[in-house]
Amino acid sequence: MPTYPRLQSLKTINRAMEQYYVKRKLMARLKPVAYVTSGAPVEMLEAMGVLTLYPENYGALCGARREAVGLCEVAEVAGYSQDLCSYARGHIGAVLQPAHAPLNGLPKPDLLLCCNNICGTVLKWYEALADHYDVPLFVLDVPFQHGPQPQPHAVQYVVAQLEALIAWTEEVTRRRWQPKKFRQVLALSNETLRLWQEIRDLGRHRPSPINAPDLFVAMAPIVALRGTRQAVEVYRELKAELERRVADGVGAVPGERHRLLWDNIAIWYQLYRFFRPFMDAGACFVTDSYTNAWAAAEPVDLDDPLPSMARTLLAVYINLDLPSRARIVADLARRFEVDGMVMHANWSCKPFSLTQSDLQAAVREEVGVPALVLEADMCDSRRYNEGAVRERIAAFLEMLGSVDGSLL
Amino acid sequence: MSPYDAILNDLQTLGEMPLRRWRERFPGFRPLGFMNAYLPEELFHAAGFTPVLLLHRREDRGQAKAHLPGFTCWVARSALDQALAGELEGLAGVAFAQSCDAVQALADLWPRAVPQLPAFYVAMPHHLAAPAARSYLLAELQRLRWRLEEMTGQAIGDEALQASIALYNRTRALLGRLHELADRLPPPALHAARQAAFLMPKELYYPLLAQLLEQLPPSGTGSPRLVVVGSELADPSLYQVIAEAGGRVVGDLLDLGQRHFALPVDETGDPLQALADHALALLPTPTKYHPQRRRDAHLLETVRTRQADGVIFARQKFCEPHGFDYVMLKAALDRAGVPHLLIELEQTPHVGQMRTRIEAFLEMIGA
Ligand code: SF4
Ligand code: SF4
Repeated sequence: MPTYPRLQSLKTINRAMEQYYVKRKLMARLKPVAYVTSGAPVEMLEAMGVLTLYPENYGALCGARREAVGLCEVAEVAGYSQDLCSYARGHIGAVLQPAHAPLNGLPKPDLLLCCNNICGTVLKWYEALADHYDVPLFVLDVPFQHGPQPQPHAVQYVVAQLEALIAWTEEVTRRRWQPKKFRQVLALSNETLRLWQEIRDLGRHRPSPINAPDLFVAMAPIVALRGTRQAVEVYRELKAELERRVADGVGAVPGERHRLLWDNIAIWYQLYRFFRPFMDAGACFVTDSYTNAWAAAEPVDLDDPLPSMARTLLAVYINLDLPSRARIVADLARRFEVDGMVMHANWSCKPFSLTQSDLQAAVREEVGVPALVLEADMCDSRRYNEGAVRERIAAFLEMLGSVDGSLL
Repeated sequence: MSPYDAILNDLQTLGEMPLRRWRERFPGFRPLGFMNAYLPEELFHAAGFTPVLLLHRREDRGQAKAHLPGFTCWVARSALDQALAGELEGLAGVAFAQSCDAVQALADLWPRAVPQLPAFYVAMPHHLAAPAARSYLLAELQRLRWRLEEMTGQAIGDEALQASIALYNRTRALLGRLHELADRLPPPALHAARQAAFLMPKELYYPLLAQLLEQLPPSGTGSPRLVVVGSELADPSLYQVIAEAGGRVVGDLLDLGQRHFALPVDETGDPLQALADHALALLPTPTKYHPQRRRDAHLLETVRTRQADGVIFARQKFCEPHGFDYVMLKAALDRAGVPHLLIELEQTPHVGQMRTRIEAFLEMIGA
C-alpha cells in the first residue's frame, strides 16, 4: 500500500480542538455557555465573553469517532425518526445519555442561538434543546436568498434581528455589550476567513498540496474558533506548511493524475478510508463545495458591521438558490481545473442534497465534467453500503483513467 | 340519492380528479396550483386565479427521480412527478410558500425542471414573532402583488382584495363550523369536505358546504373520538380505515386543517397588512417558530375541548419538521396521559397494516 505525506499542522489543529473542548468543560462554571449553529454570527457572543459550542461540530466528532450510530439509536428510541439529520440525532442522543457519549457530552448551555441560514432542521433541534434545558433561545431568522443579490428588505429584516440579538444577549448573560471588543473579534474573524480562503486556494497548484479529507479536518477552527487569535495562528501554520509543499512540488497525492471536486458534507466515519481508492488511483480532491462555504464570505465592514454581517449571513452557500450554487461550483471547477466531481447525496441534509441532481446538470452544462453521485450519510453509517460504493468508485476511476471526461 | 349524499359524492370525487381535467369541470375559472400552507390565497384570487392545492397521488410515474433523491418526502416528489408527466397542464403556474426545506428545494429546482409552468415563491418569516417579521412579510406580499399585476396586466385594487378576503372569510367561518360538528360526519366525508375547500373555486364551494352543514345527521355516540396530527393528508385511506374501525375524527392538527381556518382575516383597514397579520397570528406549522404559540399546548387544548379519546399521528416519511414536532407533541400527550398512535405515511398507504394498528389502538383506548 502506498503511503501519503501527512500535514503536521493538522495535528496542531486537532490539539487546538481538543483544548477547545477541555477549556469549555473547565470554564463552563465561570462563564455563560451558548450552543450556536454553524451559520450563526458567533462573533457577537465571542465579544461578550460567552463560551460557544457547536452541536453540529460535536455531531461530526461523534461521526468521526464512529460513535454516532449508538447515539442516534438513543434518539430514535426517544421518538426521533431515523430519517432526521444525523447531527441532530447524534447530539440529542448525547444529551439524553451523556455517559455514553464522547467527552461525556457537552457542558450544559445557558443560552441558545439558532440561525436558520443552513436549514430548517436546526430550528426544530434548538426548540427541543430549549425545552430540554429550559434555557432562553434566540432564533435568528435568515430568509432563503433567491437571486444573486440579497433583497434590501431581507437585509433590513436580518439587521433588525441582529440589533435585538445584542439586547437579548445583554439581558440573558447580564453582561454589557462591548463594541470595542466586537470590532477586535470581527477583525480576527475577517482575518481567519481570509486565511482560510488562501489555504483553500493553494489547492489550485499542480499537484495540489491539500486533499478534501485534510480540508475537512482543517475546517474545525473556521467554524468553532472563528474570531479568536488561536484560529489565526493555526491557520498561519497550516498555510506556511502548504506553501512549503508547493515550493517543493509535494502533492497531497503523489503523482496526481486527476483533480476532483467534492460536493456536500464529509462522510465522517470514513474520513480517510473513503478517499483511499481515489488516492491510490492518483486522484486528489483539490476543492469542495462544503468547506468553501466559509471561504466565500465577504469581510465584514468594521465601521458598519451589522448590514454587512446580514449580507454574509444571507449569502451562506446552502442559503442560496440553485443558479447561484451552480455558479459557485462551476467557478470552483474552472478555477481549480478539475476533471470530475463526486457528489455525496447525503440522507441527513435535505438542503444540501435535494437539488443536487440539478446542480450537477447545471454545472455540467457549464464546464462539462463528469460526476459520480453516491448515496450515503455524513454520520449514520447504517446508510452506507461500502461494497456498492467501492464498486461505483472503481468504475468512475476507470472511466476517468481511460476516457476523456468530455465524451460523457 | 339524498341531497346530502349527492353533495358528499360530489366532494369526494374531487379529490381523485386529475388536475388536467379541472378546467373542464370548472369552466370560467383560472386554476393556479399551490403547494402548502402560508400561501396568501386571497392575493392570487384577487388577481383572477383560483388557487388549487397540489395533492400528492398514489401513483408514481417515475418522473421525479431524475431530480429529487428517494429520501425526499412524497408530498414534494409527487408534485414534481405530476408536473413532469403533464398532469398539471392548464394551470397558470405553481406557487410555494417558504416553509420546509423540501418545498424550498422543490421551488428552487422547479424553473429548471418544469420551465413551462411559472413558479411563484413567496418568502415568509420562519420566526413569526421576530422583530421586523411583519414589515419583512409585508414587503414580500407587496412584491407578489406587483408580480401578479405584471403577469395579468391588471392592477389588484384594494377593493378586489377586500372582496376576496371576505369570500375566504365566509368560507373559513363555515369550515370552522364544519370542524365543530365534525363528530356528525363519517371521517371520509369530513376529509372530503375539508379537502374540497382547496380544490374548488370558493364561489362554488361556499354554497355547497352551507347546504351540507344544514343536512348533517345527528352526532354519532359511543365511537372513539380521535384527533389527527400531521402535515398534509391527500389520501383518504386513513380516514376510511378509522371509520371502518368504528372511530370518529373530531379534531385535527394538520397544516391545512383546523389551524388553517381558525382565524378570519381582518376586513377593515389595509388588506395587505391584514393578510400579513393573519399569517403571523395563526398557530404555527412545525416549519415556523413562535415562542408563545406552542403546538403542544394547542394540541392538549384540542384534545380537551373536543373530548378526544386519543391522537393519531400521520407522519410523512422523510418530513423533518413533523419528525421533530412529533417528539415534542408525544411528550406532552404522555405527560397528560392521552393515548396516541404513530402511522408513517409513504407513497402508497399500507392499508392492511394501518387497519390492524388502528383497530388495536381503538380497542386499547377502549372508548
Ligand atoms: S440538516 Fe444539514 S445543514 Fe441542517 S444541521 Fe443537518 S447537516 Fe447541518
Ligand atoms: S410533508 Fe413535511 S417535508 Fe414534505 S412538504 Fe410537507 S412539511 Fe415539507
